[in-house]
Amino acid sequence: MKRNSLIVIVGAILVIIFAFWLCAFQVRTTEVAVVTTFGKATHPITEPGLKFKWPPPIQRVYRFDQRIQSSEFENKFREDLTADNNPLLTSVYIGWRISQPDVFLQRFPNGISEAEPQLAKLVSSTKSAVVGHHPLSDFVSANEGGSKFSAIEDEILAAVDEKLTNNNYGLEIKFLRFKKIGLPEATTEKVFARMTSERNVLISRAQNEGEAAAKNIRSDAELRASKILSAAQGEALRIQGQGEAEASKYLGVFQQEPQLASFLFRLDALQDSLKEKSTLIFDQQTGPFTLFGSDVMTNLLSK
Amino acid sequence: MERSIRKYALLNLAALVAIGIVAFIEARANNSMAGQVSTIFLGIGALVAAVSWFQMRLEENERLEKLEFDELTRSKGSSALFENKDTEGFPAQRSREQFERFFVPVFTALVLIAEAVSAFLLWRWFSNEQLLIEVKQPTILLSFFAAFALGLFIFGKFSSTFARLENHRLLRPGASWVLLGAYLCAIVALGTVGVLMGYPKADFYVAKILAALLALVALETLVNLILEIYRPRVKGKIARPLYESRLVGLLGQPEGLITTAAQALDYQFGFKVSDTWVYGFVEKYLGFILLLQLVALFLSTMMVFIEPGEQALIEHFGQRSKVVLGPGGHLKWPWPIDKVYRYRTEEIQSLIVGSQPDPATANQTTILWTTPHAKEENFVVANRDQSLLATNEVAATPAVSLLTVSIPVQFQITNLVDWVYQVESGTNLLDDIATREVTRYLAGADFNDIMSSERGAAADGLRERIQDAANANHLGIKIIFVGLQDIHPPMKVAADYEKVVGAEQTKFAAILDARADDIKTNALAGAAATNMIDVAEANSTKTVIAAYSKAALFTNQIPAYQAAPSIYLQRAYLQTFAQATANARKYVLLTTNTHDVLQFDLQTKVRDDLLQDVTLKK
Repeated sequence: MKRNSLIVIVGAILVIIFAFWLCAFQVRTTEVAVVTTFGKATHPITEPGLKFKWPPPIQRVYRFDQRIQSSEFENKFREDLTADNNPLLTSVYIGWRISQPDVFLQRFPNGISEAEPQLAKLVSSTKSAVVGHHPLSDFVSANEGGSKFSAIEDEILAAVDEKLTNNNYGLEIKFLRFKKIGLPEATTEKVFARMTSERNVLISRAQNEGEAAAKNIRSDAELRASKILSAAQGEALRIQGQGEAEASKYLGVFQQEPQLASFLFRLDALQDSLKEKSTLIFDQQTGPFTLFGSDVMTNLLSK
Repeated sequence: MERSIRKYALLNLAALVAIGIVAFIEARANNSMAGQVSTIFLGIGALVAAVSWFQMRLEENERLEKLEFDELTRSKGSSALFENKDTEGFPAQRSREQFERFFVPVFTALVLIAEAVSAFLLWRWFSNEQLLIEVKQPTILLSFFAAFALGLFIFGKFSSTFARLENHRLLRPGASWVLLGAYLCAIVALGTVGVLMGYPKADFYVAKILAALLALVALETLVNLILEIYRPRVKGKIARPLYESRLVGLLGQPEGLITTAAQALDYQFGFKVSDTWVYGFVEKYLGFILLLQLVALFLSTMMVFIEPGEQALIEHFGQRSKVVLGPGGHLKWPWPIDKVYRYRTEEIQSLIVGSQPDPATANQTTILWTTPHAKEENFVVANRDQSLLATNEVAATPAVSLLTVSIPVQFQITNLVDWVYQVESGTNLLDDIATREVTRYLAGADFNDIMSSERGAAADGLRERIQDAANANHLGIKIIFVGLQDIHPPMKVAADYEKVVGAEQTKFAAILDARADDIKTNALAGAAATNMIDVAEANSTKTVIAAYSKAALFTNQIPAYQAAPSIYLQRAYLQTFAQATANARKYVLLTTNTHDVLQFDLQTKVRDDLLQDVTLKK
């Protein structure tokens, strides 16, 4: 009996818990909820806490994440044409949140996963239209003022917001930003080719500048060397002349016996000219080879 | 009594059919795969319950027929009419026998086919890797399946106890399937709890386990069918229903396992372990012990321990508390009143903008622009300098270049409340923000600046931009580091950039060579000039000294000459001649009266000794 009572108590507790489970629900701080009564959205709940409802199938609860959704549903490059007919790939990301849970539930019964593709189409279409109004230089420019990213983003956001407000999607977009811009494959190849050509210009410039600079340096060096040597030659001549002038003071001595001086100068010249390897051919008329003449020797011996 | 048993069998059947239908609708509506698989079991159980109920009726008819026959026998006495015990006279018995002989095996074979085909189809369905259906309204699903489990358990427990007490073999199969259905519904409910606790695949895994169990049951049915062929038929011995699964019986009544275990212990220890007070206590209070454990488990949720490096947020009925829990022990209301969410806030987290590192090249010790080291992702960058164009016609379209970018961004959570409650996925948003800021920065910056002088400033600038954007979105993080070490031209043109560097080096080499020549030329010219002047000075000095010395010599020679002019001249001549011609080759022609033609070979001859040890190569 005691055992049965305990089982009944435990069973009753379980039934109460089960009933409580069916009739109570929590809404987290991160959530908003909508309570439907026989399928009709009757109570949107935006405050967190413990809430009560009738058990299913009378009332049902639909919960949604109320935080900013930063999912990358538009995380794909789409090609658009800019105002100056340049193809440009762009991808954007948006932050949005549910503003009216009851309306959101009616528009998107399957929740966020259903809303995102719809929103993606809306944003994509608006983005293409706005991109078409701007030249490429509004996106990419290193000049004063730079690119106009923020202005274009605001333009797209305003256009998307207008459509959302007009049709009441039950959500609001908090921000919209370009994530990335790029170029189509064919254009990329052309850009690569241009970058290569640009490098070739730089290569050519570097090579020729090097050769020109080297030539200039060498030419300048030769000029300076030539100037130095010329100056040195001049100086050498001056010194030489100075020496000659100094030496000329002693020429008067030779005037005392001009014949002797002339003879001695010739002897010096003879000696200097025979310093190198030379071959001489004499006959017996040339002194001292006159000694080889028979009459000379005979005369001398007879004396 | 028989009527009651049939009533319970009918109740089993009704419970299985009703709950099976509702469970299927509920599981289908809420995308519960496990719930749908469990209804296959309930369906097969319903078929088994229906057949066993029908077999019960046949046996009841046979029993009534037999009672009627016995009554007639007693009232009419023994007569030839009633002595004929041929089956022709017992249509109910004949019907039952025909049923057991033909229908039951065919039905069991059909059950086998149903089980096997279902298991096969389920396995094919689950083998799709992409298959992950989100369970909708898990709370509702949990409530329903918990209720199904409770209802089936009450019916099944009652029926199985009744069948065991009354030893009614035909009530047992249906009761076992009902109990199994109860446990399976409880498992589906547990899977749904897993989904509620943040494990969306829990339902899928439960479905897989149930499919495997179905395959096991099919295998057992097959084995039963094969063994039935070889089973010895002993007259008078009541056969076990062929469609009754022992596996289902065991799974449906796990207490049978305990009994089996007790018997095994008795056998092993050689005395009745099951008769000891310990075993009796455990058997008697097992429910209480389990309940106590559940209560202890529930109470243990009142304490939470936060690990070092972690912070946690606590939510009271879903409403966030303003207190952020730091490392250590904390008390809270039990689950599900208070729930705790932990985060590693001290950890430095990172993400990479642009090219993601390639694990295959992670061990490379040298990373070059020209060799692949990451999955290349190019960013558009502006070109301010168009001076390379030869003409003055600057293109209307701005020049753009491409840069391969791989930028690590390191961050730390500084405000956990913002990080958790502001954005659904902070990491995703930060990745978007960082990529956007890099894109925007490059689109407004000059290619050459980024590649050279602005690189350092770019890293600081980007860090500040990302931090500002994160603050604007209330991400609650601090950007610690933004690295620009891996920004370079795309691999396709990287070699050309290296060639420019090579050309610049060649240029500097040519200039340096020219400088070297310059130095050499000027140094040599200087030396030559000095030498030239020195030589001139030497010659000048020599000239002067020679003039002086010759003058002095001449002054002294004059007296000698004047003393004997001819002799002096002769002597001077001969002395000088002898000295001057000492090394000259001399030919003296002594004959004067001939007309000989003399030929002199004045060619310089190489000395013979110089040619020694010289060999000519051919």
